[in-house]
Amino acid sequence: MAADEPDESARARAVRLLSGPRSRLGVTVGPSAAWILTLLVAPLAFMVAVSFFEVSSLTYQIVYEPTLNNYRSLFDGGGAIWNTPFVTALWLSYVIATVTTLLCLTLAFPLAYLLARSGGRLFKVVIFFVLLPFFTMYLVRAYSWVLMFGPGGVINSTLMSWGLIDAPLGIFNYGVPAIIVGLTHAYFPYMLLTLYASLDGLDFSILEAARDLGASRVEVLRDHVIPLTLPGIIGGSLFVFVPSVGAFITPTFLGQGKVQMIGMLIESRVAGTYSIGYASAASMFVLVSIVGAMILAFRYVSIEELGGA
Amino acid sequence: MTSERDNRSHGTSNGSTSTGRRVSRRAYIAGAGAAGVAALAGCSGGDGGDGGDGGDGGSMGGGGTTTINIITWEEYAEMQENIESTLDGVELNITPSTSSTEMFSQWSAGQDEQFDIAVPNNNLVPRFMDADLVAPVNNDVVNNFGSMYDRFQSFVDDQFTESGNAYGVPIRFGWYGYSYDSRSVPDHEPSYDILFEPDYVDADLDGEIIMYDEAAKSIPAAALYLGMDDAMSGARMTFTEEQLTEIQELLIEQKPRLQGYIAPDPTFIQEFRQGNFLVGHSGRNETVQMRSEGDDWVEFVAPREGALAWYETAVVSAASDNQETAWEVINEFITPQNGAALAEAGFSPSTNPNVADELTEEQNELYGRIDPSRLEGMYSLKDIDSDVEEAYVSAWEEVKAA
Repeated sequence: MAADEPDESARARAVRLLSGPRSRLGVTVGPSAAWILTLLVAPLAFMVAVSFFEVSSLTYQIVYEPTLNNYRSLFDGGGAIWNTPFVTALWLSYVIATVTTLLCLTLAFPLAYLLARSGGRLFKVVIFFVLLPFFTMYLVRAYSWVLMFGPGGVINSTLMSWGLIDAPLGIFNYGVPAIIVGLTHAYFPYMLLTLYASLDGLDFSILEAARDLGASRVEVLRDHVIPLTLPGIIGGSLFVFVPSVGAFITPTFLGQGKVQMIGMLIESRVAGTYSIGYASAASMFVLVSIVGAMILAFRYVSIEELGGA
Repeated sequence: MTSERDNRSHGTSNGSTSTGRRVSRRAYIAGAGAAGVAALAGCSGGDGGDGGDGGDGGSMGGGGTTTINIITWEEYAEMQENIESTLDGVELNITPSTSSTEMFSQWSAGQDEQFDIAVPNNNLVPRFMDADLVAPVNNDVVNNFGSMYDRFQSFVDDQFTESGNAYGVPIRFGWYGYSYDSRSVPDHEPSYDILFEPDYVDADLDGEIIMYDEAAKSIPAAALYLGMDDAMSGARMTFTEEQLTEIQELLIEQKPRLQGYIAPDPTFIQEFRQGNFLVGHSGRNETVQMRSEGDDWVEFVAPREGALAWYETAVVSAASDNQETAWEVINEFITPQNGAALAEAGFSPSTNPNVADELTEEQNELYGRIDPSRLEGMYSLKDIDSDVEEAYVSAWEEVKAA
């Protein structure tokens, strides 16, 4: 037992050292702060820095002379600014992300409402089936849609073999509609789970009271359900919209190269000519616009409410 | 139920108790520290070796083995075993890569000291030269150089020879033309017209054409269709602003007729089989792969305006301390036996025609024996001149965004 005494005193010393407020903060927040600093803030700071430098086309090395050329070149092109590849790609990305978000919201809301009202076993069964495809990797799920679309894809072939159509339908071809379907499938669970969390906290007796007092179903939805679940709607929309704007794999597979979203433009610049300055400048625009969207969202809900609390 | 693993751990625990031996915390930490230092020393020991051929890039391992570090396409691993058994005391450490640009960016960022050999596509070799990253070919060692097709020896002279020194050795090659589904597209004189002119053949090809999703391949095809052969004749590809505008307009005009743009070979093959298109701007090896797997309805042709030839070219790092051994390895890449293994793995012919002796008649028809006259009308794939690079990239992006 005598041999244990120095250990205990060392332990006591360690406890004393760690019980100070600064040490406690360091031990609890330190690891995650270091993680965020090294893996999120530092790369982001590097990206911001690179967007203000050029890269030598001879050596592919960064030339450390501050310049705005990368930002200028985003808007260079033959015609008007809104016709440049960057602006076109950015605009298209916002349109696709907006439609995807609305589609997810429209499809997920009734299901989340039903689940919140029913609860119990139904919830478990539905959630299991919704999440089932997500046990496979994203790449495989995106690729499976490739087989579905196209003139010779499963959808067109099936319709033709049933005699419903004579020739492949263009709507089932690759392009923007196929990308929206792929993204909706990819991000639907985020919307569903966020909406469910929000609707689950809703006091349904309020809705019944409103109905008893003569409100129509539409009025109940408009005046009670939507305002009370707004944090969930905004949270779910952010979870769908933000990754959809920067989507790369799904549009690469389902756009067949004819659709150029912003992520693809950035990738092609890096892979083709190693223009990391241009790519960083383009990413900054995406980043700033998404931060803007989040600030706008936080005007209506607090961050605690976003998860549906 | 107790697992074997559990039993073993219990045994260890009991054993230490039964001997009554107790390791103090200080002794334990000291022991662990010593083990850590020894492990670190072991990790860093590989760099030095005991003199001779060892260095930063390659290294001398125990027993006088020289390790040659190579960044290249994954099929090159097919030759590893044979080369290691042929060259005494040489070990290959192959890092697979899927992009010549990636190879260049890694080397120019300092990894030229970690690798002895890279095998980029020929169009990137001038960049390696301009950045002083590569060493001249050691002609005394690369004695298979003279066995290559004459056309590739002349490509080396045109594209990467400076002051009488060549800086790379072509290893395997292929070319880009187009393939078509012979069940739906009638026989015709091979021409890029089929990609750009609606009525070139008696078949409705609207929405049935695929182009390469890469500026470096689609723009030269459009340029050759427009008769801009001069742009392809120098060490690098170059265009005037007017020519780029003309190419851009042609490609935008073509876009509504396209099924899309495809880059990776497997996607091309899968969609061709699925029946998503009838004519595809493609490399020869995709078609060869399809035919060798039974799709005899696929035809590949080199357009009369000229096909674009690519060839992977092995270069040796100027920073390598194992340059001689590295050139020995490269010389092995183009021996008939190794060339045949590589050709089989990637469905692409070797630059050494003697490889045909190592392949079956069927393999020779597909990717072994290439009539040298077929190579005469080809243009080699080239990097874009840096003066027009921005306009060239921008023209392609505008096509994609249209």
